[in-house]
Formats: sequence, structure tokens, C-alpha cells
Amino acid sequence: MGWGRPLLALLIAGLLLPLVPLLAWAVSGQWRYPGLVPQRLSGRGVRILTDPRSHVLSGVFTSTLISVSVAALACAIGLPAGRAIGVYRFRGRRLVQFLLLAPVIVPGLAVTLGIQVFFIHYGLAASTLGVVLVQLLPTVPYAATVLGAAFANLDLDYERQARALGSGPVRTLVFVTIPLLRPALILAGLFCFLISWNEYVLTLLVGAGQVQTLPLLLFAAIGSSDTTAAAALGVLVVLPPLLLIGLAGRLLAGRSGAAIGLGRL
Amino acid sequence: MTRARRRLLATLAAGVLALTGCSSSAGDTPASSLDPPNWKSVLTAAKGQTVNWYMYGGDDTLNTFVNGYVADRLKKVGVSLNQVKVTDTGDAVNAVLGQKQAGKTAGGAVDAIWINGENFATGAQAKLWYCGWVKDLPNARYVDFTDPAVSSDFGVPVNGCESVWQQADSALVYNSGALSAADAGSVSSLFAWAKRHPGRFTYPALPDFTGSMAVRTILYDTIGGPRSLSGPFDEAKYAPAAAKLFARLTAIAPSLWRGGSTYPQSEDAVEKLYADGVIDAYYTYGPGAVADKVAKGQYPKTTREAVLSVGNIGNISSIAIPADAAHRAAALVLANLLQDPATQLALYQAEGIYPGIDLTRTSPPIRHAFAAIAPSPSVLPLAALLRNAQPELASGYVTRIDKDWKSAVLQK
Amino acid sequence: MPSFRSSRLPRGLRITLLLSPAAVVIGVFFLGGVSQAVAQSFGYQPFLPDYHWSTDAYRAIWLDPAVRASLLITLRVSLASTVIAAVSGVAAALAIRGLRRGRGWVTGLFQVNLAVPHLVGALCMLLLLGQSGVIARLTLTAGLSTSPAAFPQLTGDRFGWGIIAEYAWKETPFVGIIALAALSRGVADLENAARVLGATQWQRRRHVTLPLLAPPVAAASVLVFAFAAGTYEVPYLLGRSYPATLSVVALQDYRDTDLSVRPQAMAVAVVITLLTTVLVIAYLALAKRLSGRPL
Repeated sequence: MGWGRPLLALLIAGLLLPLVPLLAWAVSGQWRYPGLVPQRLSGRGVRILTDPRSHVLSGVFTSTLISVSVAALACAIGLPAGRAIGVYRFRGRRLVQFLLLAPVIVPGLAVTLGIQVFFIHYGLAASTLGVVLVQLLPTVPYAATVLGAAFANLDLDYERQARALGSGPVRTLVFVTIPLLRPALILAGLFCFLISWNEYVLTLLVGAGQVQTLPLLLFAAIGSSDTTAAAALGVLVVLPPLLLIGLAGRLLAGRSGAAIGLGRL
Repeated sequence: MTRARRRLLATLAAGVLALTGCSSSAGDTPASSLDPPNWKSVLTAAKGQTVNWYMYGGDDTLNTFVNGYVADRLKKVGVSLNQVKVTDTGDAVNAVLGQKQAGKTAGGAVDAIWINGENFATGAQAKLWYCGWVKDLPNARYVDFTDPAVSSDFGVPVNGCESVWQQADSALVYNSGALSAADAGSVSSLFAWAKRHPGRFTYPALPDFTGSMAVRTILYDTIGGPRSLSGPFDEAKYAPAAAKLFARLTAIAPSLWRGGSTYPQSEDAVEKLYADGVIDAYYTYGPGAVADKVAKGQYPKTTREAVLSVGNIGNISSIAIPADAAHRAAALVLANLLQDPATQLALYQAEGIYPGIDLTRTSPPIRHAFAAIAPSPSVLPLAALLRNAQPELASGYVTRIDKDWKSAVLQK
Repeated sequence: MPSFRSSRLPRGLRITLLLSPAAVVIGVFFLGGVSQAVAQSFGYQPFLPDYHWSTDAYRAIWLDPAVRASLLITLRVSLASTVIAAVSGVAAALAIRGLRRGRGWVTGLFQVNLAVPHLVGALCMLLLLGQSGVIARLTLTAGLSTSPAAFPQLTGDRFGWGIIAEYAWKETPFVGIIALAALSRGVADLENAARVLGATQWQRRRHVTLPLLAPPVAAASVLVFAFAAGTYEVPYLLGRSYPATLSVVALQDYRDTDLSVRPQAMAVAVVITLLTTVLVIAYLALAKRLSGRPL
């Protein structure tokens, strides 16, 4: 098949090409049309990221705090739900699985428009807690599905043995079940972290402009006329996902449940 | 309880505290207890509060000024500034309206809004604003309340519901390498130039504030000035004027950027087009800020400004405080600080933004300091901008033009 | 069925308790949100005393040319992106599978842009495809165009090419990875069997490989379509204000300072929900009917 390999090379090049202007703009000082390379390189992009007046560092802090909280909370909710659908066969199980995946299909924007007025009424708008709660909407389905698949493959004999040896239910959970599920938990936590890290519309609606996560800062920067600042911020936003996915690369091999989550990113 | 369990509980508790603590609700002022004429009590109440100031965030130099000079001076009286950038002031008004819809009457997320025009009118109509405090500000003595531009905002009486901050005057920014001064002399000559060089001029899609101003400037030129449309909205007067205006706009559309089939989403986008050399001229409400962009190398050195023969639309923009604001005292302190002549001078120095206060009421050193600032060749001096200043129309006309433009011009 | 001797709870109760936190999230946020959007589209106001039920919002969006154009562009953009992503993804998966050496790092490179958020992807496309972007500058240098305006409009254009480009770019590896995962040992065995029986490579492709890939790729395509139809950031940054996709229109209406337009925003949100739900139901029904088909 003569055209297979060149075609693949072309495709891979095409997939990596759009990232090049991003990197170039991030380090450019002046790059007016029609220059093919920046007329001047400069560290201004990097300096903007570290300038306290640009609020990027506080954006990193807010984003990290929210994403870690969302990942932890979503996994805490997804763990019992995953156990229910993975371990037990019960009537209505397929319906529960379908409902759990519904937020993946129906766009979060449509759903959040309806409940935003409630967030305002109960004082959750313009607060980090409110943003964390609303971000449970796209993340809990993934956590539950990934952990459900993990529970389905779990050998329950370990738990039975631990209980037989006199371990209480909580000790069994913490010292037997969770370590057995560690790969899936890491995967689910990673997905939830990344979905939360990239979330824009839900944070915009519930945060009322006061909860400034990195996607909000980036969106504003893209709309401004300072391309270097936007590109530099874009590179910053990309780095944690790249690192985390690279680290988890080994765990992803062959798990189809994992692949579903990747598209959402 | 085992040590591991205690540590886990402690971490959880800290996490929950971190989350709930990250919303500024410290020191909410019960609305009724504030007494603006007693300024000392306002300062005491404001100490330790954070003021959430919702303002247009597309002007980088202004943002630096606000987060620098203004924030520092507020810190000195114990008030923290949280500048909440919005791409459209309407979003801030929408937020306050949304709170009303949600049944919230106190502890609102919006403490102060940089506002004027239709947005102020929308809020006034919905009774959103805290009023009656403007004349009680210590720095109100520098404001000329008899000036019609101050006492009425786009035809809506201010009634002490917003305090003056900036003066905006519009101008045409153009690249003198592409347009001559004669081309930029009037709307007709500008359009003739656009026909000879199609695709090099545009304005933001309405209801963007600047786009609206560009269209209204063209309206004034089409009907010979705003006098025939003075006073409150009148359908009988509006219809023939609008017909002529939209006919002219659709006629020139093919010579605009992208053949008039689309318009940039915001003034920011228009400035980006100019910076990239895609267009050669655009309207602006911030003529003073152009010098900064030329100095930074974002604009070509041949950038110049002009006031077209029809004159230029000018207006005052102000600070309004929603009635349900959580930190009313801090907002009052902010509004007062912005009217301080020292602040107005610093703003003019930073970005060439013209003062909203009346300079004749300030002390001679301040007046001399203003006069001493040498403008860049790319920027028109204040005198040139004020020479032919035209008033704004009543907000009813503005809203109606914004709405009709979409169907009359954009969707054609 | 697993059962623990020391379990005190009956099975049904145990399952309910395990599902309850997720049920609260899905029930309150998702089902609550959808029902609120439906109710508010008919004029309901949760906290204001005076409201009246009416179908005004639906009538308004039906008559609004912006909404009709929006539906058209949403379908067009989603369909085009999904088709391109599916075809490219499957082709890439087949090509990668055919590699004898270097499959590991090629797969790694293939997945790089999965980590890039859509927001950054939109920025990349703006910088690449804009009229003063990198490709435009290349064509200028090569003498193929004379000015920014002469370069074709790929961003902020009427058709939505920029939006399609971003979605296709991001979702090709997604479909590709799923296809690759589906091209397991079992498929190779079936292909070998077909080869032994005399089938040509083309016949093997058509009658063995592609039908086996169809279910997972179709499922992935449904996800891609639903996602493309519902996001906001990408169409806002890469598209134009008219016609805009349904999500952009919904948020535009929601942020209008005239609150009486909010029911229309809810109505558009309901349209989006219906669109994606109908799509999934259609897929499930079709998959059920087709899965009985013999190879």
C-alpha cells in the first residue's frame, strides 16, 4: 500500500501544524503581516504570565483549586455509583447507565441556563463553591462510567476475604477496594480534572465574572488585540493537560471507556 | 479516631473552608444603615470591604491604571478593588437584572458599574440603581451639575443615580499613509475613499457601543445634525431618518471590509484589524488611547485622528451602584476617588482619557498640570475634539437603531 | 450475586444508597436544569410572582431568521466535522495498524492534540487560518495571493469552515483512537480467515474490517456530533455573529438586557436538547436494527 504511509505522515503533520503559530506568537515581540517569522522575539509573553497585575497567577490558583475539588468530589460521587452499576445486576440498570451518560450528550449550556437563576437565589453565584458544584454536571458521568467499568472487572473475593478476616466496611473500602481500583480512580480523577480545567461556559454563567479561571482569562485575551498575551496564556493552559495525559499514557492503553472521555476534552 | 482519619477529616475541612471562603461576603453593609452625607461613617463602613467593580475590560492601559493607581489608593483607605472585566456593559446590567429575577434583594454580586447610555436607561427603568448619593460625595464639588451632559444621560435624567467619571469624545482614526486629510474630512469623502479602496474600512456590529456611535455619526451627517431628532423618542421623526440612514449604509456596505457581509464582533476586533493592517480607518470613542498603541508599536507611526465635518459625538460615562449591592460603602468610596482631580489627572497622563469633572473648578496647579501634558502627533488635543462636539440622542433612538440595524443592514 | 455475611442492608436499599449521590447530581442539576429550561421557555418564572404561560418564545424563534439560519449552520458544521473526523480517524487507524515499526511513537504523536483544550484549538485555528494568519502569509510569499483580503475567508465566514476545521482537527484523533482500540486481535483473525478464503484486500476491507469498525466509530461519531452541536467557545471565536450556531444564539439571548427575551434563550436551549436527544435515540434504534445483520 504505497499511499498509506505518506498519507499518515501528512495527517500527523496536519495535526501538529496548528500548534506552531501558537508557540511562535507566544515568544514574538513584533510579528506584523506579512512576515513569515516574527520580526522580533521577546519575553513579553512570559512576563505577562508572571505579572501580578494580569491576574494569571491567581487564575492558575483558582483553576487548580476548582479542578482538584471537582475531580475529588466527582470521584467520591462516582465511586458508589460505579459500584452500583458495575457490581450489581438490577432491573433498570440500563436506564440508570443511560441517564448517567445523558449529561455527556446534552450540552451543559442548555442545562445550566435553566438552573442559573437558582444558583443566584441560593447565593451560589459568583462563588467558587457554586462553580465547583455546577462542574459536577459534566464530570460525574465520566467518573461513574469509568469506575463502573472498573468495578465490573473487579474480583470481589479480595473484599470477601478482608471482611471474613474481621475488617469493617470502611476499612475494607479504604485499604482493599480503593487500592485495587487505583488505576481506574487515577484515570477518572484525571478526566474530571481535565474537563474542569478546560470548562468555560459553565464557569462564566455561574461565576458571574468574579470566578476567574484560566479559560475565562484566555477567552478574554483571545478577544483582545494582544495576540502574544493570548498565545502565551494558551501555551500555559495546554501544559498541565499535556503533562498529565503523558503521565497517564500507560494507563490508557486498551481501555475503551477511557477513550470516550478524551473526546470531551 | 486514628491519626490517618483525623488527617483526612482535617484536609476535607480545610478544602471546604477554602471553597466557601473564596467568595467575597465579608463585611456586607446593611443597605439602610449608610448615611452618605456623613462621609466619615461611609469610610468606616467601607474599611475591610472589597468592591466588585464591573467595567468594560477591553482597554489594557485602562486596566493597568485601574489595577495600579486606583487599587493602590483604595488600599490606603482599607478597600480592596476587584475589577470584574466585562466585554459589554450590558452583561453587568444583565447580571443585576438576573438577581432581581432570582428574587435577590441584598448581597448582590455587582457593587459598581462603569456605565452610561442605554444600559443606564435600562437599569433606571427597572429601578435597579441606588440613587440620591451623588451630590453627597466630597469630590462632587468639582462636578458641574448644570451641564446638560451631566444631568441627563442620553436623554434620561440622571437624578443622582450615577456619578461622573470620564468624558468620551469620538474621532476617526486613520493611517495617513493610506488616507489624506481631505479623505478624512467628512463622511462623504470617507465613503468616496472607501469606494476607491474597498474593504479597508469597517465598524463593529451593533449593538456594540462604538459601532452604534459610528452609525449615529453617519446618521447625523445624513440628516444634517441631531437637532431634528432632539427630545424623547418619536416614531414619526424616527422612521424617515432611519430609512435614509439604512439606505446609505446598505449602499456603502459592498465597499466595506468583507463586502459588508459581516462586521467585526467588537471594537477590539476592529482595532485588531487596524493593527494587522487589514483596514486603514475606524471610529473610536477613546482617541487618547491611540498614542499608547503607537508607542507600543501595535499601530503604525503614520496613524492620525480626525473629527469629521459633521462633528463628533461626545458623552460622559459614569459610575452607577445597584440598589442590592453587597458593598455599598466601598462602592461610594470608589466613585468618590474616581472624581478626585488627582485621579483624573493620573488617568489623563496614563492614557489621554479626558476628565469628566469641570476643570475650571479645580485648583490652578491641577489645571496647569493638565495643560502641560504634551500630546503625541497621533492624537488630537482636547480643544480640537471639543470644538464641534455633538450631543447624544435620547436612548430610545439608540436602542431602536441598534435593533433595526440588524435587519436593515446586517441580514441583507 | 455478591453478598456479605455482615451486610445489614437489603440489596435494593443498598443499590439505592450507592446511587443516591450521583442521582442527586443528575436529578437536581441535569433533569432539574432541563425541566427548568422547558418551563422557563413557556414563561415560567421561579421567583417572580407575576408570570403567565405562553408559547410566545417558540413563536418568536420560529419567525426569527437568525434562529433558522442558526439551525442550518449548526447542523451543517456538526455534520461536516463528524464526517471528516470519522473518515480521517478510521483511515489513520488503519494506516497506523499497518505500520510495522515505530507504531508506538506514531500513536503518541497522533494523540498530542487530544490534550489541547478546544479554546486553545480555536486560537490556533485563528492564527493559522485567519486572513492575516500563517497560511495567508505563506501564500503571499509564494505569490498566490496579494493581500489579506485576497486570501479566502476561513474564519468568521458564512459557511463555518473555521469551526469545521477546529472540530475535525480535535476529533480525528479521538475517533482514530477508538477505531484503533477496536482493531483488536479478533479482527485480524477474521481478516486472515477471509484472506485464506481468497478475498482481496479491498473485499476484506469492505466486508470484514469496516463493518466491525462501524459500531464503535458510529458511537464515537454520535458523541462528536452532539459535542459539535452544543459548544459555545469555538463557534463564537471562529464564526460570525450572523449566522451563529444555536449555543451562541442561546447565550446571546440570555445576556440581553431585555429580560423578556430570556424565554427565547430557553426555547433555543430546548431545541438544542431535543436535537441531541433525538440524535442519540435515532442512533440507538438504528444500531439495534443493524446489529442483527450477518457479516
